[in-house]
Amino acid sequence: MSQAGPSREETVINQLKTRFPEAIKDGKVDRARRLTITFEKDHVQEIARFMRDEMGFDHVKGVAGVDYPTHKKIEVLYFTGSFTKTDIEDLLVILKTELPRENPLIGSVTSIWQSAHFHERETFEMFGVKFEGHPDLRKLLTLDNWEGPPPMLKDIKFPEMGQR
Amino acid sequence: MSQNTLQDFADVWIGKISELVKTITGTGPVKYLINWSRMYALWPVHITTACCSAEFGAMMGPRLDPERFGLQAVAGGLRQCDLLIVEGTVTKKMAKRLKIVYEQMAKPRYVIAMGDCACSGGLFHDSYSIVNDVHKLFPIDVYVPGCPPRPEALLSAIVKLREKIRREEVFA
Amino acid sequence: MTAQPTPSPTVTRAAGPSTLDVSVGPQHPGSGHMRILIRVDGDYIVSSDPDIGYVHRGCEKIAEYRNYVSNIPHLERPNIADAIHLNWAYVLPIEELHGITVPPRGRYIATIAAEMNRIMSHLYWMAIMAGVFSGHTTAFMWGFGDRDLFIELAEMLTGARLTYSFLPPGGPRRDLPYGFEHRLTKLLDYFEKRLPEYDRIFFSNPLLVARTKDVGILRREEAVKLGVVGPVLRGSGVKYDVRKLEPYGAYADLDFEIPTFKEGDSYSRFRVRFEEMKQSVSILRQALHNIPKGPIARKAPLAVPEGEATGRVESSRGEIAYMIISDNSDKPYRVKIMNGSFRNLIALPFLLRNVHVADMPIIYGSLDYWPVEADR
Repeated sequence: MSQAGPSREETVINQLKTRFPEAIKDGKVDRARRLTITFEKDHVQEIARFMRDEMGFDHVKGVAGVDYPTHKKIEVLYFTGSFTKTDIEDLLVILKTELPRENPLIGSVTSIWQSAHFHERETFEMFGVKFEGHPDLRKLLTLDNWEGPPPMLKDIKFPEMGQR
Repeated sequence: MSQNTLQDFADVWIGKISELVKTITGTGPVKYLINWSRMYALWPVHITTACCSAEFGAMMGPRLDPERFGLQAVAGGLRQCDLLIVEGTVTKKMAKRLKIVYEQMAKPRYVIAMGDCACSGGLFHDSYSIVNDVHKLFPIDVYVPGCPPRPEALLSAIVKLREKIRREEVFA
Repeated sequence: MTAQPTPSPTVTRAAGPSTLDVSVGPQHPGSGHMRILIRVDGDYIVSSDPDIGYVHRGCEKIAEYRNYVSNIPHLERPNIADAIHLNWAYVLPIEELHGITVPPRGRYIATIAAEMNRIMSHLYWMAIMAGVFSGHTTAFMWGFGDRDLFIELAEMLTGARLTYSFLPPGGPRRDLPYGFEHRLTKLLDYFEKRLPEYDRIFFSNPLLVARTKDVGILRREEAVKLGVVGPVLRGSGVKYDVRKLEPYGAYADLDFEIPTFKEGDSYSRFRVRFEEMKQSVSILRQALHNIPKGPIARKAPLAVPEGEATGRVESSRGEIAYMIISDNSDKPYRVKIMNGSFRNLIALPFLLRNVHVADMPIIYGSLDYWPVEADR
């Protein structure tokens, strides 16, 4: 049914923009049920708390890191959703932020979204992103005594990979 | 001085008795009996390595019924098992544990390398965290190619292994 | 070996004079290819720490070195019992970036393959995780026996037993072969008669009920906070299923229910999967009846235009989401995989607190944690 007012996705973006005018850099609707919001990394915990308490996004589906060596940044993406609030439960909100590549440091959201626990641990291991305040930041998936570089960074080339 | 002669005396007689045992077990009927009992009671170790374990489970199912060959996945101890089936990709983290498991098994022990990844690296051959040549960890008796191999292929590998056991020397 | 197990985040019982640290390692009849370091005090587990990564093959890194179609075989291996869903969630964002939609007949065929896979995966769960882990080897034999019949049909449809690579971007590879509908209908008739037998001998077995009722209770608020998915979530009273929220394939035209139970114990998680098998049978019958005629696939070029897209499906273990970032070449720039087993992992140290040691296989089995999928 068509409506003259803003869609649910745009309502979410407007709510966040009004509440955090300086922290939210950009918000766009990719398609139905998908929206991407870019924010400043220093405000991650306030934004997470607002989204959980006021807007009803109660869990994190995953935390992804993306390495852009040419732009000298590492992006961290949080995929959030809602299990309990019925009018937004089919939305997938992607929160995106940038970290400098030499020192990727960001506050941890595990005190707000407990579901991000193992995802942040994996991003720490794979990209070297340090999450401040994470209760148990150690490596998860690679070999026991792997002291080596974070495997997923683009300039870490394993010699045997891709030789086909 | 007398301790040394006692030691030499014991060594000589233990040597003579073990030679006698080897001769007895080398004879046809005894060797056949020992090998027959070994090949009819192959118990695999409860360790799954990667995705080929789904076809290993399918082989243990009612369609192929490996229990008629004596293959039972009993929840006993590791020291009672004699067959290690390396199912699928062996990561570096798992390779350490596989080697420990192999060394803990009591002899005689046999290894089947199941799947392309265990034979030579397979689909993930260029990954940073896997071991391509599993044959350097321990000696492998039978290789089963496939991705994943059919349960019938795994069962025919077990039949091949049994043939190998039937022919081998007792004190290998 | 590794150092002392650190306390898991959700528990705070440190080592004391009466505790003992036990490593339930990768070689254990009740744990799969992962290790759980448990801290026991007598017969009670007081805290636990999962140690995963034994099957970490670097799928996300390998995906950047192969082109989009060559990625399908190694991206569907993580969950070999349910490979179609991993494949489908991978091609949905690619089709979105191309801007193509699969024709209706292709979507129905993918739905039929996916629901068959769901039944196969739940039978595998019933055989191993619910059967062998609770000491019920008849369930193992029955589960694998009936699963083989479905595998035969999948072989007829796709040419492979477990690893189909059936859905390249644009639609399924092949049409339904001649005689497939007839054989599938006969199999569904047989399977529908078997389901009450499973119920009588296994799911309503007083021994199993005694072992699983009120064991590993996950309340609704806790399930939401931990972010678990799939039957674990639906067994705790949250009705969340991607097939209804964001219909893909042919699910928008099909009529089915989402079984949900509110007790949150292991028994309700067991029953959710059993009821889902019944629903899958009904979905398959409707799909076979209503399947339209026409083409099955659209051609999709190998190079994907630049952009980011996320696609999600509901697999047998929960919601699977793939994020793909493309840069106008034929190899993806980044593939991020979020699957049900990794998201359910946090429930394991949470539930393994103040339970008997004998409850550990039951709790582990009720979560249906598949280590290969979680490690990727």
